[in-house]
Amino acid sequence: MSRWRPTPGEERWLAVAAELGDAVPRESLAERSGGWRSTGLLARSALFVLGFIAAALVVGILRAGDEATLLIAGLIAVLAAEWLTVTRRLFASGIEEGLGVAGYLLVGAWIAMQLEPRSGFASASLATLVLIAAGGAAGLRRLNPFVTTCAAIALVSWIGSTTAAGMIDGVIGRGLTVLVFGVALAASALALGAREYRRPSHDRMLDWLVATLPVAAWLQYARWSMFDPTQVAGGHGTGRPVAVVLLLALGAAMLWTGLRRRRHAPLWGFLGCIAGLAAELHGALALATETWLILCGLVALAAGIALERYLRQPRNGMTSAALTTREGPLDLLQIAGAALLAKRVGPEAPPAESTYEGGGGKFGGGGASGSY
Amino acid sequence: MHTLEPELRALHAEGVTDDATTARALARDGGQVFSVHTELRATLYAGVLLVTSGVGMILARHLDRIGPLGIVAAIALAALACAVPALRARRAGRVPGTAAEYLLLLAALLASADLAYAERQFTLLGPLWSWHLLLLAGVHAAIAYAFASPLVLAASLTALAGWFGVGGTLGDALHFGRSTPELGGRALACAALIVAWRLVDRRVRPGTRFTDVFDHFAANLALWGAIAWCLESPWLYAGLPLLAALAYVAVRRGLDTRREAFLVYGVVYAAIGLGAAIAPRLHGLTVQLGFVLIVVCAAAATLWWLRRRISEPAP
Repeated sequence: MSRWRPTPGEERWLAVAAELGDAVPRESLAERSGGWRSTGLLARSALFVLGFIAAALVVGILRAGDEATLLIAGLIAVLAAEWLTVTRRLFASGIEEGLGVAGYLLVGAWIAMQLEPRSGFASASLATLVLIAAGGAAGLRRLNPFVTTCAAIALVSWIGSTTAAGMIDGVIGRGLTVLVFGVALAASALALGAREYRRPSHDRMLDWLVATLPVAAWLQYARWSMFDPTQVAGGHGTGRPVAVVLLLALGAAMLWTGLRRRRHAPLWGFLGCIAGLAAELHGALALATETWLILCGLVALAAGIALERYLRQPRNGMTSAALTTREGPLDLLQIAGAALLAKRVGPEAPPAESTYEGGGGKFGGGGASGSY
Repeated sequence: MHTLEPELRALHAEGVTDDATTARALARDGGQVFSVHTELRATLYAGVLLVTSGVGMILARHLDRIGPLGIVAAIALAALACAVPALRARRAGRVPGTAAEYLLLLAALLASADLAYAERQFTLLGPLWSWHLLLLAGVHAAIAYAFASPLVLAASLTALAGWFGVGGTLGDALHFGRSTPELGGRALACAALIVAWRLVDRRVRPGTRFTDVFDHFAANLALWGAIAWCLESPWLYAGLPLLAALAYVAVRRGLDTRREAFLVYGVVYAAIGLGAAIAPRLHGLTVQLGFVLIVVCAAAATLWWLRRRISEPAP
């Protein structure tokens, strides 16, 4: 038994408790999981934010005008997080994660500020690399896949800002180094996912990388290619074909692996590759944006309808039906998403030349004047 | 990969879990049963988002080439086509599936865009243009009830909130900078109307699927409205007690239904309101930040404690 984090065995029992929910008495699992206490996704997210804010407030309260404030505030936050872990046995509860991550970042920021004058590593900011390392270390300490994934995405972005990446970009196409590195990292995570891990959190860290890196790497590539004149349709740049081939290959591997292993993360990674591919093809085909959006939307809808019909009756255990009727965070997300869409297509105030006055936002309909 | 099979089998062998629970959990763990429901919903949502974005751009860019009537007719036809799967399901006496429900949402959104465009082009309602938000809310509500669709109901409630002059999404609720007591009053009025609607809905249709949607909208709008009252004197003296009462109701609802979203609403909105109401009235930045830190720590401890309560078995 460890005081600092659950053992792999304890973490597995925590995962069993989360999987079975109310189907098993909590007290029967409490001892096996070493008394570690966790919480649900929404509360965890809220507590993470509260912990992060608390650490930022400590910086504000201690503001002494020098860099040591960062170190002291960071250490206070890290110690508070460790205290919660050791004495309250909190694991994946949000609050100790928010405090811990903020603390590591503050200490990382203090170290970065000691690197005077502004030093570089292969012409990329060393300070940024220190912050990324601090974030990664915090994620590994807390076994938090969200934080490790953010660090990995930041690392991909940092790689793109190095001189070496700039030189390679000059040969193969602007932004491609970032894409190649991101795709390679995602492919490595996919390959490593074939191994069996004792700790569910290690598996989840790889899953998050697999699910998010393809689209994150492509977005960073797209940031460059958007402004590169050689990337327009009919141009002589090699960037776009390479990007298409990379995304196609990774997407195919993701789909195949996801179906074979019956895992969600590769399927999300596949969807990310598809999104990137669609955007790349739009640039290559030179269709009007609105036409392309509608076309892609119709393809997505048609694919969704076909998939639902095909899997309405389970095939080899695969189904399009939900396995649980419990309301989860995704249901909330769905309602919020529908509201957001409704607001996007909603009406706007009349044009400026209209003689209508918004009624100053008074109750009774005029409130929709948008004057607030 | 990881598998929890040894632990699940151990629980079964000790008699902690029954055969059915163990079989279900083992099947999910080993991938013998695998649902792509979430991926399907994401794909359909992306489809609806892309089509509505494309249609929005067409409306903005090609007015002159196609002509207003042509656009109105084309979008109306497209909306009707999207509603076909849901109509077929209804005629067959079935609840629309996931894909049909998303297509129905697309139909409703296209109808919204069409109506908004027609109103803008032909100024059908003249100076009462904003009333067509209420009309939209009514039309969407009718569609939602006809097809028992919570997604379309969310669109209806968004239009209703828009008619009241308040946003219907969480992002709008978090724009405290533009909150005023008057806006808060309208948010509270909208929330009250939604609560009344919810009560009638539950009474008339005991098996309704809409309660959650009503609850989320009402909770966010009401708590946001109360916070808007907390920002200015003398509204503050009504706003703070109201915020406390609403936060209590939200937390109570969360505990009763064992849904942590309402615990988060109650605790987080109360903390924001308390910080926004009291911190500016304290002297000195350190004191203000110290007060906010205390509020944040208290909120975190409260949320943790409440979340533990819904994890415990019901008495």
